[in-house]
Amino acid sequence: MALLQLQGLTKRYGGIVAVNDVTMSVEPGEVRAVIGPNGAGKTSLFHLITGVVKPTLGEILFDGHRVTAMPAFGRCQLGMSRTFQLTALFPEMSARENTRLAAQARDKKRWLPLGGRAVFAEASRRGDAALERLGLTHVAERPAGLLSHGDQRLLEVAMALAQQPRLLLMDEPTQGLSVEETAQAVEVLGNLFAGGGLTVLLVEHDMEVVFRLATKMTVLHRGTVIADGEPEDVKADPAVQDAYLGGYT
Amino acid sequence: MRTTIAMAGLLALMPLGLPPYAMTLLTEALIMGLFAMSLDLMVGYARLISFGHAAAYGLGAYTCGNILLHTEIPLPFAVLLSGVFSGFVSIGVAWVCTQATGVSFSMLTLAFGQLLYAVAFKWTDVTGASDGLAGIPRRPGPFGTTFFAGKLGFYYLTMACLFGGFLFARALVRSPFGAVLRGIRENEAKTLSLGYNTRLYKIAVVAASYMLGGMAGALYAPFAGFANTELLFWLLSGQALIMTIVGGTGTLVGPILGAAFFLLVQQQLSIYTDSWALFFGIIFIGFVLFAPEGIFGLARRRRPAESH
Repeated sequence: MALLQLQGLTKRYGGIVAVNDVTMSVEPGEVRAVIGPNGAGKTSLFHLITGVVKPTLGEILFDGHRVTAMPAFGRCQLGMSRTFQLTALFPEMSARENTRLAAQARDKKRWLPLGGRAVFAEASRRGDAALERLGLTHVAERPAGLLSHGDQRLLEVAMALAQQPRLLLMDEPTQGLSVEETAQAVEVLGNLFAGGGLTVLLVEHDMEVVFRLATKMTVLHRGTVIADGEPEDVKADPAVQDAYLGGYT
Repeated sequence: MRTTIAMAGLLALMPLGLPPYAMTLLTEALIMGLFAMSLDLMVGYARLISFGHAAAYGLGAYTCGNILLHTEIPLPFAVLLSGVFSGFVSIGVAWVCTQATGVSFSMLTLAFGQLLYAVAFKWTDVTGASDGLAGIPRRPGPFGTTFFAGKLGFYYLTMACLFGGFLFARALVRSPFGAVLRGIRENEAKTLSLGYNTRLYKIAVVAASYMLGGMAGALYAPFAGFANTELLFWLLSGQALIMTIVGGTGTLVGPILGAAFFLLVQQQLSIYTDSWALFFGIIFIGFVLFAPEGIFGLARRRRPAESH
């Protein structure tokens, strides 16, 4: 069964149709990229999936649960963790505290107002493991706001990983990075995904990045899905070439 | 912890050296310290800037006044009960106010405070309207002791409330719950996206803040022997905010020092001039411009090695 299923998802802003009758799914274990030219509706679709906005029509199913009307934090509690297009961190906390707070959200006893040494210990353990997976252990004690831009992006991924997500949602993971930083980030993420066990849905416009990371692709054009499948097939699809890839090949 | 015990010891010895007049002032400073510290839970730890914290103080004072006037409940229990009641009422307030964020949140807290102020003027049976509640006694007990009814005993009761409140607040901000509050302070959208229902956390911290602030008000009623509408007025809300900021937000200890400093300056300046508030305003501006970390921050800057 698909982990995430979108059925006839539509979002209208007044007369503008940002997302038009999108039906797609994400199977466990795949790394799916949603691509499309500017204004294709990628970001709107991402907002619908993460719960930032509610759809005009259609349903969102996560692991069999209907989450269409569920607030963002509720979806996260079901196992959807996300990263932001513009890096969102706790700048005055150390990198460790950032991942610890992320991991703590998964603890049933996170509510306990007093004490909670055990909650912190368990969250730190998971947070540190996530930092190590992304090669950030050497900057763990530094305030997140003082890290390099590339490290900040990776820290955000580490925070999502610390939550041991069932679905990792990434909004343009290389947005705003320099050429070198992008190459570095792609390498780290590629290794991470190759390790298996993660289900990822990422929105990205950088084709280089998409073909390096994704195992499945969905192409959006003016809010509508025009292609869906293996990267090689999608690349060869004439409709996609027409709409988007243009001179890419 | 060692510093806390040392401070408690020092305050416990104060009655030996200070004249009765100074003891009265010190008791009031401790009450105000508890009040300012309770505001710091909201302002310093969750960036919830409340312009209506007098609501907590007034609620506690009127509740305690009524309990002491109309029941036989001993003073210490009356104070605790009033605090709990104030915290309980605040859940509804917080539920409304946290619909908004930022300046709108502040305005809603101000509006709620003024609403209570207006109610206190009209609800004569409970509040005594513009006359207020007078002749609030200090009921003896528990177990028949009259210790807390005396000046010295009342001082120690106030001290116990302040230190109890401080230890409670400190445990709260250092707990996993407090870590989430810090997250809300630094980036609420991110905290929400990590799966935290941030609104519930905000309501919870407002309730804790009102409970302690209510206790402070509950101590003031039997301390002064009366409760009037001034205890609900926005001027007091503003003064609490000033004490908190001058003392140092997000430190718990700072606002206690800020409250003592405020009362001391008020005391000294008002000997020479009626416009003491004008001069305190200048002091306040000075702190905001040159020492935004407050008195406690200044002290820490001097001795960076010693923390907590």
